[in-house]
Amino acid sequence: MSEKAKGKMTVFKTDRHEDAAAMVFVSLVVAAVLVYMAYVVPTVTIKPNQDGKVVAIKVQQDQEIKKGDLIYTFEYKDKKFVNGELQEKLATKDVLASTNGKVLTVGVKEGDMLKKGKTSIIVMDHEKGTLP
Amino acid sequence: MKILLALDDTARAVDEALRLASEKGASLTALFVLDTGWSVYIGSDFLLGSTARSKFLEYTRDDELSQEQASLAAFRRQAEAAGVAFDIKTASGGRIAKEIIMEAAQGYDLLVMAAPFRRGLEVMRDAPSAILKAATCDVLFVRGGE
Amino acid sequence: MEERKGMAHILAIIPGLAVMIGTLYLLRTFVEPWMKEAVVFGQKGWLVQVLSLNYILLSIIAGIIYRNVFFGGKIPDWAEAGFRTTRLFIKSGVIMLGSLYTLQKLAKVGSIAILLISSFVFGTVFFVLWYGKRVGMDRSMIGVMGASCGVCGVSAAVATSPGVNAKPSEVALAIATILGFGIMTMFISPFIGKALALSDYQFGAWVGTGILNSGQVLATCLAFNPTFAPGTAVAYGEIWNVVRVISIPFVVFIITTWACKAEAAESCSTAGAQMKLSKVFMDRFPIFVLGFFGMTAMSSLGWLGAEGSNTLHLLRDVMSWIFGIGLVGQGAYIDIRELKRAGGKPLRVGLVAGTLKYVVALVVIMLFVSKDASF
Repeated sequence: MSEKAKGKMTVFKTDRHEDAAAMVFVSLVVAAVLVYMAYVVPTVTIKPNQDGKVVAIKVQQDQEIKKGDLIYTFEYKDKKFVNGELQEKLATKDVLASTNGKVLTVGVKEGDMLKKGKTSIIVMDHEKGTLP
Repeated sequence: MKILLALDDTARAVDEALRLASEKGASLTALFVLDTGWSVYIGSDFLLGSTARSKFLEYTRDDELSQEQASLAAFRRQAEAAGVAFDIKTASGGRIAKEIIMEAAQGYDLLVMAAPFRRGLEVMRDAPSAILKAATCDVLFVRGGE
Repeated sequence: MEERKGMAHILAIIPGLAVMIGTLYLLRTFVEPWMKEAVVFGQKGWLVQVLSLNYILLSIIAGIIYRNVFFGGKIPDWAEAGFRTTRLFIKSGVIMLGSLYTLQKLAKVGSIAILLISSFVFGTVFFVLWYGKRVGMDRSMIGVMGASCGVCGVSAAVATSPGVNAKPSEVALAIATILGFGIMTMFISPFIGKALALSDYQFGAWVGTGILNSGQVLATCLAFNPTFAPGTAVAYGEIWNVVRVISIPFVVFIITTWACKAEAAESCSTAGAQMKLSKVFMDRFPIFVLGFFGMTAMSSLGWLGAEGSNTLHLLRDVMSWIFGIGLVGQGAYIDIRELKRAGGKPLRVGLVAGTLKYVVALVVIMLFVSKDASF
């Protein structure tokens, strides 16, 4: 009788259990992503995270690069709120290598337009055990 | 003739059911449905911490159980005073209307209930209209001011 | 439905979960790209740009349609266990959001958030205490409405009710009011935000302060800007949300103490009489917030890859899927017919307090919070 009216949660008894389960789940997901990126992923394609234009490209095919090496410089429209006004100005940004590795192909040349998340700038083979 | 009385928290329909039962010499069954729908009702909320949700569910369950006792005791008193023979049934479920419809399909001739029907989360729902659509027996709604 | 045990318990989750994942997959691969291209009122992508119908809102709408149209108002037994995992997904998503910050950034914005939120929380609580009394609500319901309008909506209502002995049927009305108001603001806020040209920072701060039910804060921010990255609406909104969630136990404590001080302590449970803050805190603290800070610590230490790296990109992609799956389930818990029956004094108090908070928050943000992103 006393049990019949008790509402059920998920497979968990209380939110404390559910929260713990969420944390375990996230740890597994994060671990899977990190291991995949560090060891499993065959090649890494570097893509721009903004639209823009390539100003300079500093790597060539088959070149070995080190973490912190300049890969390319691009020009983009910098939109920023300054004193409440949206200002647009052209700015340039250097993109550095985040891991050691070898460049397999270079997909752009100077003057090319970049599409955020679309254009493939270089494809590289990164040193295993590092996060690209 | 078999009459089914669906009990709610207002006990508005009890008198009418007793009167009908004694007039027609019918057998009377009172049904109390306990609402277990709270877990789904607050199911989307993900910000509750630790044991707050289970404490609340226990709180609503205790409330439902004490309501069950109060309703049944009040019904018993009134029925005995009226000298009508009766039978008591209880059920529980996430949808009260569904439970009542299921019970009413068990060979009853008439279902008597209050409208609006105040039982658990039925405040947020409309048991009378669901029952009107689906009931297989005659239905008598006892109206009353809120 | 009888109680299942062990494996069967877990297997029961699969059908509902499959529906949630399948829906999100269809929305993201077919529906959203189509909407981006579709020409409505002579403008390409009008549905996405003006109505903010990105995959976030679409998943919620899909859930609402399942529940209200296909399921006829009730989540069927075969899907119920699966849909209940929605909370697990949203909580996981919130924990992963911690990776958008570093500790310095959190400290920088956190102090503004704490200031704004504590003034709005207490402002609303006091307003409801005053207004509720004027309307003639009983003391325990004033407590429940105060907590839910002040802090986190439904969660605060649920966390407060047992302590102040509120009548469950009244609490049901209060919850419907708050949920309904939250859903309404979820659909209109992105529209207002875009019309007033709010920056992501302002929008996150406004929504985080002004929306009644914290459950809808994240979805609203994502509807405004569906990108997961530092400096987007969701990154700011979530800081506000976390501060609100942490404050639940404190507000519950204050309100319960207030309700217990009533003449003869009528609306006070026996357990509430000798209530301790530590006990309230232990019972009500949402542990998953610790996971959120854990993720922030990991990102501060650089364990998750550098900003702009492919690793972080993948992580955020996974995060957006986890949120999307959870949001389909959230939608399935919204029953329009139930919400429409919200009424009585809780509706009146909720609407007045909610609208006031929503509007005042917008005015304060527009006047005092600059558009310049703070990180």
